[in-house]
This record gives sequence, structure tokens and C-alpha cells, in this order.
Amino acid sequence: MRQLLVRVGRQLVLVPIVALASYFLMASLPLTTEDDNKRQVSPELAASYRRDLGIGEPLGFLRPWQKLFRGERLGTSAQGVTGDELLLKLSGSVGVGLVALALALSWAMAFALLKNRWRSGRLAVLGDAVPAVAFGTPVFIPALLLAPAVVERGNLLPELTAALVISVWPGVFLGTLLGDALETELARDYVRTAASKGLSPGVVLRRHVLPNVLPALLDAIGPVATALLAGSFAAERVFGLPYFGQLYVLAVLQKQVAVVVVATTVFASVLVVVGLGVEVVRLIVDPRAREARA
Amino acid sequence: MRRVPVQAWVGLALLGGLGALSLLAGRVFPEVLAGACPLGQDPTRPDRTVCELAFGGLWISLAIGLAAGALSTGLGLLVAALARMAGGALERWVMRLADAFFALPDVLVVMVLQLAGQSLVDAGSGAGLGPFGLMVVSLALVGWAGPARMFRNRLDTLEGQEFVAASRALGGSGSHVLRVHLWPALRPFVLAVFLSRLPAAILAESTVSFFGIARMEPMSLGRYLGTSYAALIYEGGSRVVLPAWTLLVLLVLGASLASQALATRTRRA
Repeated sequence: MRQLLVRVGRQLVLVPIVALASYFLMASLPLTTEDDNKRQVSPELAASYRRDLGIGEPLGFLRPWQKLFRGERLGTSAQGVTGDELLLKLSGSVGVGLVALALALSWAMAFALLKNRWRSGRLAVLGDAVPAVAFGTPVFIPALLLAPAVVERGNLLPELTAALVISVWPGVFLGTLLGDALETELARDYVRTAASKGLSPGVVLRRHVLPNVLPALLDAIGPVATALLAGSFAAERVFGLPYFGQLYVLAVLQKQVAVVVVATTVFASVLVVVGLGVEVVRLIVDPRAREARA
Repeated sequence: MRRVPVQAWVGLALLGGLGALSLLAGRVFPEVLAGACPLGQDPTRPDRTVCELAFGGLWISLAIGLAAGALSTGLGLLVAALARMAGGALERWVMRLADAFFALPDVLVVMVLQLAGQSLVDAGSGAGLGPFGLMVVSLALVGWAGPARMFRNRLDTLEGQEFVAASRALGGSGSHVLRVHLWPALRPFVLAVFLSRLPAAILAESTVSFFGIARMEPMSLGRYLGTSYAALIYEGGSRVVLPAWTLLVLLVLGASLASQALATRTRRA
């Protein structure tokens, strides 16, 4: 139990670290309003910068959060965000991310099975080439290729296409791990025993092999969640989806520093929640993890 | 000395070929490329061909990747070596910090660092860094954590070997062991880690430049696609997107092949 609490504590500590680091980095920015500087910020933006970050105030780092919880707007009136809007945008991104995760798991299973089949044949080279192509393709490239067909249609098609686009690399990444784990497990004695007792290959896979392979997948869920959320930035920008990724990119482009501080911390919190979720799922599905805790 | 695997040679040849091609076609003889480009003019810049912009962008992207990859690998190696030499609680905390850094996505942190760096440059306190230098420093500050973790683990494995124990027993200091015994064994691994950082840095730069956050001039591949993406969407951009995509994929394929082969060879050695 103590070990579990230490692991949870190590994950949770990331949130205040990110909150403080992003606050002090942003609070130290020399945003200039001088007319002779080509890239000066507007007086309204400079005022919101001092006001929202509580510059010069004791415990100023709490100011953005205080404003957010009071329902006040962070940033300038035209481009800022309130707590409710932030939650709404976050829920949109998380929704797209969850659909993408489901798709990624499907790609992973399909790629792992194909890779296993290709291993002994002439197509073995595809097992290495497909991950390289998937990794070498930034999310915005397939998004740009698909955008003309979906961007003005609405009816959740842009959201679904965004999920499809951002799921490809995580799916292939998970599939590679799953394929390697499957290869190891399929060579074990218990698989041969189950098959020799007359079980069909599908039943052996589902009942015996997959439960042993699942923990390897869980280890990769953290990086996959990071990749999905980071991928959503580009997909939302190209498909014009008004969610969290778009908010973040616009906040950086428009120097809405208080929004950047809050959004960065929220992003880190989402990753921590995913990490904690993975720990819980591991305890449920992996008896070895429960025994280790005991 | 073990032979360098064929896979690594293929990857290095691909990288070298792309580098030479981008230098010759994008920088030395751009007029030849402009005259012979089968893909025609760029829709948003009628004075330039798609091939000129793609190969010119590849040269910039490759230069950023090489510089950022080298800097982040060097930083990671320095952190790992110092952590191993310090040992104990300091090593544990430094590695936890590296893990925390590693958990955050590169693109997000690079965006924040670009915002901070650009504000400093605009205020005249950017220490002479232009967009290129700023991007390289941002990518290095993001990318050191992965190499630090890998080098630390590799050093830990190497230090468990008998020749290191023998050197220590003969009175070799920490820095002597590191310099004389560990560094020669670590060198191929450093090259493998550097090559693995190369595509990560290029992809992060492409994405951040695509958003329009980095002000890369001349344009990198990402900025090239990002500055005209509205036109690409509405005027059918596959003619423009496909060459840039192919170059990126080939670059990543070359770096991945070489890095994986060298890392496998190092582990077996």
C-alpha cells in the first residue's frame, strides 16, 4: 500500500511543479508596449498580463486560478477564456482523444496480428517500414490531405476525422509493442498445452495469451495519451475544431500568458489522471501487480 | 571490433544522401531545381516552385535536427554522467526530474519555450539568438531528458562489469573510469541516441513551425506547410504536401534504421 501511495504521490507532484514552473516562466517575460518595438503587445494585453498573473502580489501564482474559479475571464476580453469555457473545450478534446484511443487500440490489435503473420514471409519488411512511416508523419500532414473533404461538412465528421488522424501513430506504436509481446507469449509452453488440448487458436489467444500481454500495453498508455493529446493540437488547428488544442495554440500565438499557464497545468493534470487510471486498471487486470502490492 | 550492421549503413546513407541532395538542390543549385520541377509553382508563392521550397525546407529542418539532436544528446550525457558520479539521493532526484520532463509532450513545452524566448528576443535580451538558435535551444531543453535516462541506465550496466570494478580496485577515480573505460564503450551508444533524437527534433520543430509559432526564415518544412495551409485545404494541397511528407518520412526512416541497428549492436557488444 505504501508503495502504491508513493507512486501516486510521484505522479501528483507533477501538477504543482508544472503550475509553478509555467507561472514563473510566464511572469518573468518582458512583454513590451513601447511604440518603437515592432512586436509590442497591445496595452490591453499588457494590462491583462499584470492583472491575471498578479505580478508583484504576494501569492500571485494563485491569481489565475482564483479568477478561474470565480468565473472571471482570463486574458483579454476578445480572446480570453473563462473556467466554464475551458472545461467545455477540454471535454471536446478529451472526447476526440477517447475516440482516438479506441481507434488506436483497434489499429494496435490489427497491426500486431498482421506483424505476427508477416514475420515469416516476404512481407516481414513491412513490420519495420510501417512504424517508420507512421512515426515520420506529423499529424498535420494526413490532416491537411483529408481536410478538403471534411472541413465544411460538420455533423461530427471533422471530429471523427481528427480522431482517425491522431490515432494512427499511437496505434502502430502500441501494435509494435503488442506484436513483440505476442511473439514472446505465443512461444511459451502454456500456449502449446492449451492448443494441444483442442482449444481453437482464437480461444487460446483470447483466454490465455491476451491477459498476459495486456500489462505490456498498459505501460505504453502514458506515452500514447501524451501523443494523442499533443496530436490533437495539430488536428484541431487544421480541422478548425474549437477545443483545447486550438485554445492552447491561439493562446501562445496571441501571448495570452495566463491562459498558457492554466492550460499547461490542466494538460499536465490530464496526463496525471491518465497515469492514475492506468495504475487502477493494472491493479484490476494484472494479478501480478496485486501480488506485488500485497 | 564488431562490424557495423548493413541496416545502419543503409540508414546513414539515406541520411547523408538526403543531406547532400538538400544542400545541392536547395542551397547550391536552386535554379536547376526551379527549372526542372515537375510539381509546378507553389499556390501561395507563384515565384517559387514546390521542389525549391520542399528541398530548401528540408535543408533547414535537417540543420535544426542535427544541431538540436547534438545539443540535447550532449546535455543528456552531461546530466547522466554528473548524476552517476554524484550517486545516492541526488542521482535519484535528477532522474525523477528527467522522468517528469519526459512525461510532457515535446510540442507543448517547445511552444511555451518559444513564447518565452521570442518575448526575450523582442525585448532585446535574447543573447543574440535568432529564430534558428532559439528553436535549437528550445528543442535541446526539451529533449535532454530521454537521452539522460538512457545514458544513465547504460552507464549503470557498464559500471557493473568486471573491468570497471578492476579499475576502481586499482584506485581509478570516478572521472578516470568514465574517461578511460566507460567512454569508449559508450561512444556507439551516443551515436545511436543522437540519431534517435534527430527525427524527434525535426518532427517537433515541424509541428511548432506549422502552427506559426516559430518564425523560421528561410522556411523549414513545417513552416512552409504552415504558412500556406489554408490555401492547401481549399485548393487541393496534395501536390504541395506529398513531397514534404515524403522527405520527412525518408529522413525519419534513415535515422530510425541507423539508430536501431547501432543500439542493437551496442547492447550485444
